[in-house]
Amino acid sequence: MEQIGERRRHAQMKDLVAEASRALARLDADRLEELALSCQALNRALPPASEEEGRLLAAEARDATGEMAVFRRVLEATRANLNVMNRLRELRAGRLEYGGQPGRGWSGTESGHGDN
Amino acid sequence: MGTISSAFSMMSQALDADQAALNIVANNVANANTTGYTEETPNWQENEPIEIDGVSYGAGVTDTGATSVRNSVLVARLDQQQQLASASASRLTALDTIQTLFTPDSGSSSSTAGDIGSDITSFFSSLSSLEANPTVSSDRQAVLSAAKTLAGDISNAADSLNSQRSALDQEAAGTTSQVNSLTTAIAQLNQQIQSSSPDADAGTLEDQRSEDVSQLSKLIGINQVTTENNGLSITTTSGQLLVSEGSSYQLTTGTVDGVTDFFLGGTDITSQLASGGGSLGGYLTARDVDIPSALSSLDQLAYSISTSVNKQNNAGTDLDGDNGNAGNIFSEPTAVAGSAASMSVVMTDPNHIAAAGLGDGTGDNSNAIAMADLANQAIVDGETPSNFYSNFVSALGSTVSGVQTENTAQNASVTQLQTQNSAISGVNLNDEASSMTTLERSYQAASQVFTMLNTIMASALNLGDQTSVS
Repeated sequence: MEQIGERRRHAQMKDLVAEASRALARLDADRLEELALSCQALNRALPPASEEEGRLLAAEARDATGEMAVFRRVLEATRANLNVMNRLRELRAGRLEYGGQPGRGWSGTESGHGDN
Repeated sequence: MGTISSAFSMMSQALDADQAALNIVANNVANANTTGYTEETPNWQENEPIEIDGVSYGAGVTDTGATSVRNSVLVARLDQQQQLASASASRLTALDTIQTLFTPDSGSSSSTAGDIGSDITSFFSSLSSLEANPTVSSDRQAVLSAAKTLAGDISNAADSLNSQRSALDQEAAGTTSQVNSLTTAIAQLNQQIQSSSPDADAGTLEDQRSEDVSQLSKLIGINQVTTENNGLSITTTSGQLLVSEGSSYQLTTGTVDGVTDFFLGGTDITSQLASGGGSLGGYLTARDVDIPSALSSLDQLAYSISTSVNKQNNAGTDLDGDNGNAGNIFSEPTAVAGSAASMSVVMTDPNHIAAAGLGDGTGDNSNAIAMADLANQAIVDGETPSNFYSNFVSALGSTVSGVQTENTAQNASVTQLQTQNSAISGVNLNDEASSMTTLERSYQAASQVFTMLNTIMASALNLGDQTSVS
């Protein structure tokens, strides 16, 4: 519980969530991985020992619901962007046009005929 | 706690709906460009087969324009996100103005729309005071004074909303010329590109066209369709043709029911444009949905208070001894619509306030009690006046918060895409691979953060429940 109290003195839960949204917007993978470790630590420290601690945590959670909604939305937008980028990578690899038919390329054609 | 849980649940549902829409957009972009890619065969040139001893070898392809193809997909995605971000930004600006209108201004001595909540309380409190002294002139005058303040603030709020609606109408109408000038320019560029480089990247001309399309997508929601010979057709998101290769189709406006409607080829496409995106979509949503919704609530409030109070006043005896015909305190509305803007106090003589019950003598206070008790009755759409107004302000705040969330996420998405685009524009495969790795790492780490935070928050909110129960 010491850990929760310590963390609360440094950053409220809403600040943590807002920081995650900002880091994701600028694709700061290092920072996001640090935040993931912080969240793991916070999760391990649950549940709080005292009723007072629980009340404070509940209040923080209520305060952070708006930021959480933003984070969720940014995360979903990122997933959609990632889908598009993966699609681009497939385009680059030519898989969309020639998917499943690698033999149509030079190397495939030649080796297929065993004439190289 | 229940309220917070409900709000969180509602927010999640709204976001689920948003996400479904976003996924559709993402799929549309991906699939639209798959088709476009096939049609843009010149970008992928098939190698001439080599014949040796009558056998044909090699049917591979040479990537002659992969960079252009890749960028067009990404830029299309960027345009899609920008048009959504523009729509939410312009709507948010309008909503912020509406919300400011209903924010209590405790530092001001003059009464404003933000004071409607306290005006309602003051009006019914003045009737409660009258109960104790039904014949005292100053208490009667205080009732009329509180009624005037309430009516004035509701009426001013309605006027402000109507003014804002007019301003948005002008903003929306003003974008028409910008849209038309951009679609004309894009059509001209199409002609130039198709005649000068039908089989290859047209360089600067394509850059110009891309920039014009980007500008257009900030104004209205559009879909792009790549056509033969490096051509480009553009439709609204609901499918109306704006540009078809070398031809453009002009958006026109006309006044319908007092506001500007938008036409394409004689068809009214205003509602489609409102839901389509771009700043025009945001303006139209605020003009046709958000402001009418706020006005409707104010009208309901004004109508119910006016008719209920008037009816009760005419059910008592005033200080002059008029039984059952003391007259109206507020102007009697004939319909709900327009009640807020026309709300006023028509009673000038405080002696006509019917504090006494019918036949109970002028010193009685039973009708004043009945009028004051209207504050506790569900006279406005099933709610008390104060609760109705409070819920209206609360719902407005939720709408603003939801659009703010949407706008923040869309701007973040645009930032991500711009980062990816600049990494790719270098046409350096190492940069591209690194950029993709960063995107994937960021997404995975963020997913972990989200999952854990969600668990922590759910536990914390339950802790709050238990705490409040105990």
